[in-house]
Amino acid sequence: MSALIDSLAAEARLPADDHAQVRRGARKALLQYGFPDMKTEAWKYTSLRVLEKREFSAEKPAPSDRPVLPFEAVVLHFDNGILATDGLDLPEGVSLVPQTGDQLAVADYGDRSGAFAWLNLARFEQAWHLRIEGRLERPLVIATGTAEDFQGDVHPRLFIELAAGAQAEVVEVQQDRGQGLVNIVQDITLGPGAILRHLVSRRVAQSAWIQRSAVTLARDADYRFHVLDRGGRLTRHDLNATLVGAGANAEIDGTVLVNDRQHVDFHTAIDHQVGHTNSRESFRILADGSGVGVFNGRIHIARGADDSHSDLNTANLLLSESARINAKPELEIYAEEVTASHGATIGQLDDTALFYMRSRGIPASEAAALLKQGFAAAPLENIQPEPIRTWLLGELKNMM
Amino acid sequence: MNQTVEQVNQVIQQRYKAGFYTDIESDRMRVGLDEEVVAMISAKKDEPTWLLEWRLKAFAQWQKMVGPDWAHLKLPAIDFQKIHYYAAPKQKNRPKSLDEVDPKLLETFDKLGVPLHERARLAGVAVDAVFDSVSVGTTFQKELKEAGVIFCSFSEAVQEHPDLVREYLGSVVPPSDNYFAALNSAVFSDGSFVYIPENTRCPMELSTYFRINARDTGQFERTLIIAEAGSEVSYLEGCTAPMRDENQLHAAVVELIARKKAKIKYSTVQNWYPGDENGKGGIYNFVTKRGDCREDDARISWTQVETGSAITWKYPSCILRGDRSAGEFYSVALTHNHQQADTGTKMIHLGKDTTSKIISKGISAGHSNNSYRGLVRIAKRAANARNYTQCDSLLIGKTCGAHTFPYIESANATAKVEHEATTSRIGEDQLFYCRSRGLGEEDAVAMIVDGFCKEVFKELPMEFAVEAKALLEISLEGAVG
Repeated sequence: MSALIDSLAAEARLPADDHAQVRRGARKALLQYGFPDMKTEAWKYTSLRVLEKREFSAEKPAPSDRPVLPFEAVVLHFDNGILATDGLDLPEGVSLVPQTGDQLAVADYGDRSGAFAWLNLARFEQAWHLRIEGRLERPLVIATGTAEDFQGDVHPRLFIELAAGAQAEVVEVQQDRGQGLVNIVQDITLGPGAILRHLVSRRVAQSAWIQRSAVTLARDADYRFHVLDRGGRLTRHDLNATLVGAGANAEIDGTVLVNDRQHVDFHTAIDHQVGHTNSRESFRILADGSGVGVFNGRIHIARGADDSHSDLNTANLLLSESARINAKPELEIYAEEVTASHGATIGQLDDTALFYMRSRGIPASEAAALLKQGFAAAPLENIQPEPIRTWLLGELKNMM
Repeated sequence: MNQTVEQVNQVIQQRYKAGFYTDIESDRMRVGLDEEVVAMISAKKDEPTWLLEWRLKAFAQWQKMVGPDWAHLKLPAIDFQKIHYYAAPKQKNRPKSLDEVDPKLLETFDKLGVPLHERARLAGVAVDAVFDSVSVGTTFQKELKEAGVIFCSFSEAVQEHPDLVREYLGSVVPPSDNYFAALNSAVFSDGSFVYIPENTRCPMELSTYFRINARDTGQFERTLIIAEAGSEVSYLEGCTAPMRDENQLHAAVVELIARKKAKIKYSTVQNWYPGDENGKGGIYNFVTKRGDCREDDARISWTQVETGSAITWKYPSCILRGDRSAGEFYSVALTHNHQQADTGTKMIHLGKDTTSKIISKGISAGHSNNSYRGLVRIAKRAANARNYTQCDSLLIGKTCGAHTFPYIESANATAKVEHEATTSRIGEDQLFYCRSRGLGEEDAVAMIVDGFCKEVFKELPMEFAVEAKALLEISLEGAVG
């Protein structure tokens, strides 16, 4: 981790704004706690060795590609991690301003398991505040891409605020081609009755891709998260949803594909702080080649959060001799009148199904591909609106 | 007024029947822990030099280690220098048979319902009774000897069968395994030793009863069970302690070795003093239990009913090394008042076609916290391994907690792992149904809890199942309403 620690000292690259003190505080916290190792419970299955050997370059890389999408959308392009503001045309009800010092000063990421969020706060160049009011007609696309010669470290920071009753679809299109570090911190708040569909389509090359999304749901808010992660050298996504108002509902659906020399680690936590809240989660990992998939899903129901209901399900496929899957579904329940359950399986393609398809003249490889695709598509099938679903399912099909 | 106090006492006695204290003169080693104390324990037992060296090495390792902090437990700091590491009832010479054992001791075990004397013949279970740091007697030794089975106290085994002890001691749980295993390896004072020769089915159930009696002492016993190829044994373990305001430490190590086609069934009813309703007193129970299916087709089954202890930290595990070997874990853990339990199992699949099954039932009441923590690991070469895990939690009351932390790791594409967990309360409709049929609320709860635990109870030997059921009912008293 020496290169990262060294980079902390390179203050010269940081913009001269009002946030120097916040950055210094974060840097102090990070130096105090250090980076996690495999003895850190939350990082038990993910080694940071890839980063240890990496040298980061301050050279400006070539521009990254803007995504080509088959549906109409408002696109915010984070080119190599930095928002391209030229020609940005935001629809009515959407505002984008830099975050204030007060907003940043309250950030606290605990001990070393939050090291990358501290690192983000110590090194960010831009911190944006995106506010959405009313109902957005077109999806809002946040495209974060890196170019092939990207070897630096970037720390995008974004606060998404949905006002009371707002409705939006936020689609994150993440495409990495480089070999640096992309370290994203997102804070998302949903006001009373707000509805957010948050979709992530990610494909990472050699960069380490670390993302932390912290979502807070007020009364009657509804948050739906879908992810299609097509693997990367080292990807870690922490998604925490905190339900603080009665009637709040959170749903998480994910499909992760990993193949040779890829490692994807998903940590989700759903925290029912008050009663009359619901959550559901379904997560699938397909590990092929020498890929490693990690899923840690935690459900916490606080004392007094009676009449909360939660269900978590993770099904995983191990498709090759050297692939590995580690799953840890957790329940932490302090309230009485609740139902909480989880199920986890790790297995392989069903021989009977394969035999059935082959007996009907489908070649073995095609039959396996169909089964895999069917398995991987399940968490994506209830995506709304339809054009986005078709697009993501098409991306999945291309991968197979 | 007196009568009222007496009545209250009676109720308390009933809730924890084993809470009495036996006033017997005891021989205690000085308080504190250092190399000298380790050497003194070894000298008291007249141990060979290699064992003393083994202890001292473990002690040196322990000094370098730190206590575990990952469990879902609020662990108070334990002052290891304030504990007596050895306490034994005073007796002039080692009794040659049970007839020479101090009648006070026999009375104690009689009161606890442990058949050491005449009743032993009727019960037909061979018992090794451990009182504080020493074994006070083992029944049926002659009968077992005829079958070739060795069942004796650990100290006796060190004297009589040193080669076996030396070969197997620490081979499943090495002293460096964890903090409490290292501590136990340094200061263990007694325990049970079982050896079942090849192709022998142990003619009767074997049982050990652990009793902590003396004040300010810890109990550190070690159990070693070796089942040779084709043999079979069922082993029962029970434990109790007097009611005291201070906490006492119990750190045991149990090692099981099953050779080819051998079967070991290990059942525990743990009823250490859990502390009072305000969380004062009680035993800290830090136990390392592990079985090694060392060769093909071996089978190890753990069944545990955990109702006692202020803190339980215990993960009976199976290493499934031999091909087609099988591990099972059945557990009921009940916590009430301020008890804390972090318990579960580890199933390490190393051999081909290995299978494991985990059934865990947790019941939390009062202000207690009850966690299941389990690991299922499928190694790369464990082709066709299978695991099925089910853990259910039941919540009684608004101030308790029930948690599940399963770790599932698979590195073989032909293995299948399934895990299911649910957490819920006793349904109003279930209670209403029972009550409308004339059952009182407590009886109704007891009945539902009994049904909830049935899958585990049916794995227990009959006498134990009856005791376990009664224990749950008593432990749940006052949990409703």
